Amino acid sequence: MRELWRLWRLFRPYREWILFGFLAALITLLANVTLMAVSGWFIASMAVAGAAGMSMNYFTPAAMIRASAMARTGGRYVERLVTHEATFRLLSSLRVWFYGHLEPLAPARLQQFHSGDLLSRIRSDIDALDNLYIRILVPLLVACASLALFFGFLLLYDTALALAGLSFLLAAGVLVPLWTQHRGAEPGSRMVETDSELRAAAVDGIQGLPELLVYNAADAHAERLHRLSQELTADQDRMSRYTGISQGAVGLSANLALWTLLWLGIPLVQSGRILPPDLAMLALFTLASFEAVAPLPRAFQQLGATITAARRLFAIVDTRPAVDEPRELSPQPSRLDLELRAVRFTYPGGTRPALDRIDLSLPQGKRLAVVGATGSGKSTLLNLLLKFWQPDAGEILLGGYGLGAFRGEDLRRRIAVVSQHTHLFNAAIRENLLLASPEASAGALEQACEIAQIHDFVSALPDGYDTWVGETGVRLSGGQARRIAIARALLKDTPILLLDEPTEGLDAPTERALMAALDRLMEGRTVLLITHRPVGLERMDEILVLDRGRILEQGDHHSLFGSEYYPRLLGLAGQ
Amino acid sequence: MEHLFIIALTPALSQRERGTRSAFGADLQGNEPIMSIARRLKQQKRYAGPYISLAVAFGTLNGLLLIAQAWYLARVMNAVIFAQAGIDEVRPWLWMLLLLFLVRALLALLAEQSAFRGAARVKVALRDQVYRHIQALGPRYLAGERSGALAEGLTKGIEDLEDYFARFLPAMSLTALVPLAILVVVFPLDWLSGLIMLLTAPLIPLFMILIGKGAEQLNQRQWKELARMGGHFLDVIQGLTTLKLFNASRREAQVIARISDDYRMSTMKVLRVAFLSSAVLEFFSTVSIAIVAIFIGFRLYQLDLPVPDWAGVPEIGFFYGFFILLLAPEFYLPLRNLGTHYHGRMEAIAAAEGLIAILDEPQPGKSDGRLLLRAQAPLHVRFEDLRFAYEPGREALTGASFEIRPGERLALVGPSGSGKTTLISLLLGFIRPDGGRILVDGLDLESLDPEDWRRHLAWLPQSPRLFRGTLLDNIRLGSPHAGMDEVREVARRARADEFIEALPLGYQTPIGERGAGLSGGQIQRIALARTFLHDAPLVVLDEATANLDPDSEAMTEAGIDELARERTLLVVAHRLTTVRRADRILVLDGGRIVESGEHERLLAARGLYHRMVTAYGGAA
Repeated sequence: MRELWRLWRLFRPYREWILFGFLAALITLLANVTLMAVSGWFIASMAVAGAAGMSMNYFTPAAMIRASAMARTGGRYVERLVTHEATFRLLSSLRVWFYGHLEPLAPARLQQFHSGDLLSRIRSDIDALDNLYIRILVPLLVACASLALFFGFLLLYDTALALAGLSFLLAAGVLVPLWTQHRGAEPGSRMVETDSELRAAAVDGIQGLPELLVYNAADAHAERLHRLSQELTADQDRMSRYTGISQGAVGLSANLALWTLLWLGIPLVQSGRILPPDLAMLALFTLASFEAVAPLPRAFQQLGATITAARRLFAIVDTRPAVDEPRELSPQPSRLDLELRAVRFTYPGGTRPALDRIDLSLPQGKRLAVVGATGSGKSTLLNLLLKFWQPDAGEILLGGYGLGAFRGEDLRRRIAVVSQHTHLFNAAIRENLLLASPEASAGALEQACEIAQIHDFVSALPDGYDTWVGETGVRLSGGQARRIAIARALLKDTPILLLDEPTEGLDAPTERALMAALDRLMEGRTVLLITHRPVGLERMDEILVLDRGRILEQGDHHSLFGSEYYPRLLGLAGQ
Repeated sequence: MEHLFIIALTPALSQRERGTRSAFGADLQGNEPIMSIARRLKQQKRYAGPYISLAVAFGTLNGLLLIAQAWYLARVMNAVIFAQAGIDEVRPWLWMLLLLFLVRALLALLAEQSAFRGAARVKVALRDQVYRHIQALGPRYLAGERSGALAEGLTKGIEDLEDYFARFLPAMSLTALVPLAILVVVFPLDWLSGLIMLLTAPLIPLFMILIGKGAEQLNQRQWKELARMGGHFLDVIQGLTTLKLFNASRREAQVIARISDDYRMSTMKVLRVAFLSSAVLEFFSTVSIAIVAIFIGFRLYQLDLPVPDWAGVPEIGFFYGFFILLLAPEFYLPLRNLGTHYHGRMEAIAAAEGLIAILDEPQPGKSDGRLLLRAQAPLHVRFEDLRFAYEPGREALTGASFEIRPGERLALVGPSGSGKTTLISLLLGFIRPDGGRILVDGLDLESLDPEDWRRHLAWLPQSPRLFRGTLLDNIRLGSPHAGMDEVREVARRARADEFIEALPLGYQTPIGERGAGLSGGQIQRIALARTFLHDAPLVVLDEATANLDPDSEAMTEAGIDELARERTLLVVAHRLTTVRRADRILVLDGGRIVESGEHERLLAARGLYHRMVTAYGGAA
């Protein structure tokens, strides 16, 4: 429930929209009930008057029928427009709000949610919140308001009638949904599990197909997928039974309400306390009034999912960033020497330090390489230098000032990174480049791309620099993406350059060609190269060999050649 | 609800785009007209068995009982209002009504259940069929597809078909049956009301189609834009670190706000049309009901109707009048329901497009070889003038000939694109040669029983995959019935026993996503244990390129050395150390063997091998 309250606080700026949507929905519902009730009364009255030869004013009810028919159609249209408009506005502000909280967490705190589908879940979680307004809030408010009105209206005729009507409405609107939810909880949660098992089996069965085939296990896997598929539908079957029962129960409640009304109403007609045409009116009124509670079972069902979605989002929003930002302005060092003193760092939940008592010094303009196997702590070093994490002990100095004194943005303004993971956004190549320097001219872009040896490729594309890349556009090869990253780094033009396994995953000729581009990029900059490959190491002033968070060996390429670990690590043992 | 429907449709766009993009090749399914997809979709109903027809039967019976219910209700009303009847006179009818209510509730439940069961059968059958088809298409097909999209199609895509079979199809049939039954009852009683219904009924689907067409066009125009905008948020989150590195992450908040707003405005443009169309539909049915009501009311009050005298307007009493009034909304209800379930159809068509594209992919001819190899003994394999092209002009192998001698350890090296992977794929039977042949112990690979051949073959890929399940399941992938002792033995030989036994759950440790929690070296050794257990005379090993730490690598190599004993080993080598361990080295370039021999001899020859070794100290 706390989640609902927090959500409501987010919704507050849209109170007017919400109120407006609610009113439109209420008017639509009331118009429909009026239409049915008046039609019943109209026919009965006309028949009574016709049979008795009496005159009656039939213009007013005919006008009411017309008016409520219009109000119902128009009201529904307005209601849909308003509620959807409001929902989109809400989602838009939710996205911005959520992004505002997510941004400081990246990348350090987001790693703890380390699953590929976390990101798509975030999107579906936010989209799930739109249910709250359209499917939950509006129907609930409308049901509450209209039930009160219906009860009041029936009280005008008879207390017993009113109480009977209300109890059936509540049974259909509250008891039935609660029962459904209670019964559906178990198969529902099992369905979520089976669904994720099925998804995993599908991914395994596709990505792992070559191995399944070679090990003659493909058939067994197809059977496993089939079994999971059957398990899933078995639970869905159970859920569909509960849905069926609840639908039947709501319809039955409406009919029973009508039935009770007849039992109670017929004696009232006989005793003259209710006029005969009013009975026809009340009968149709009763049937129509159940439209108010019809959406409630669904609303209750969605409520659970919405609260879960909200809880997941709040869990992210409530996470504290890994790094505190200083309140004061960042220092302005005159030289940009980097120095690490006895730096130690352990990831949350880690059993051993990722970095342990690391000392290193990288004077401005020098080149330093850090080599090591996976898990040796190379990437951690990078994360600390970029202030994505902060060390547990020791200090990192830039130009003599502790890194903690710099604001993240001021620090990163001085550093460019070329990494093996180059994220290209679903946008034109031009925009992907402009990211590094929003004001750069077209000439500057092309120059950077020429140095990065990607200009010829880009200009040969039909749309040139306006070609879309990323998921929905042209997919670039690993080497091409890396070159875009180099062009970005050139455009950013920073004094410090971090190269994070820049040639990982490329074949030898591409690697060699890329090194030529990197050479141009490294000119005149302070460089820290992180790698486990031998390429480019001879260009470095100093090399640190990292193993399990500690510096094992230190020297330059030639002096390290005779050492114990370095040649083995780089696969140079044979030479 | 409608906007959800449009969002649900956006994945269809990427499908569509993909279809068109790959339309250069053989795959033209993306351009298949919607009508034919709808037809193909409907054909899948055959998997549903009798359930969908049962659902329609229950629904129709429910509709008939509804008419009876209206009849009794009108009777009660008529008696009370005009005959001053009391409870006692109407009691039998009231009991009859109660019975009808209960039976109808039961029928509603049965209809819902059967409709679901029918849809469930289709889903389960199709999922199995599509997945087995993907298996038959094999790894070569997968190389050109995004595995994520295929997995999505197998899971969510299939689920998206549910509403079509469970809701739309039954609603279609009910739309024809229930209103017809009502008309049959109403016409003899009052042909005027029947005529109004008959004339207005077709207007509803007609307008639905007219407006729906316009909306669909508008939809399609918006789709492309919508998909891009919808994906933007995800894109930004995925690229958050990159944005941060360029200090662009905070300005992105404004971009998100702007794009969300654009998204809202363009979506609302589509929705306004969609809402207007449903408003018009609702207006029609409401007005039609009102006309029926007013015509009945006027006649009851003996007023003249705007109908010519020659038509001979029928007289009507309250009983029939009230009865028809009760039926009028029920007459239009199925038509309107059809509209609400229409989005189920759209969604299903979008999903079916992707699934049909998979099913239409022609399966490569299955090897009909039946020959069996003799017992497990080191094999002799000869490659004769192998040629293979992925597509015309893209030759991967241009006449590769060599042999693997029994018990030999052979290394295959060559620059990327030289054909190493293609050779291995041919040997593993993932693809079949365009020319030349592979002889195993003198028998053509094509003539061998594929399953038997694979029993003689083990493969350790570059990055072995661990499947969801336990460590034990993963080691036993190829031999699910192996005993625990055997498993421990192969784990020991693969140098995997120590770390596995150190885990709290040991062999029962569940494997997370992509083996999360295990190091690259550990995953390699689990796969190695798998290979040991498979116990095949020919082992194909695609050497890991991941940077294992030297200790881990040494252990893996020790395991491989043990595996090589008494087996024939073909290694796709990337590191000099392994190459040197080989008895012989084959150098592949441009789809053929350019050099072969021992390490020293090849170095001395100063050819491609020498260049590759000297380039980067051994990275091949």
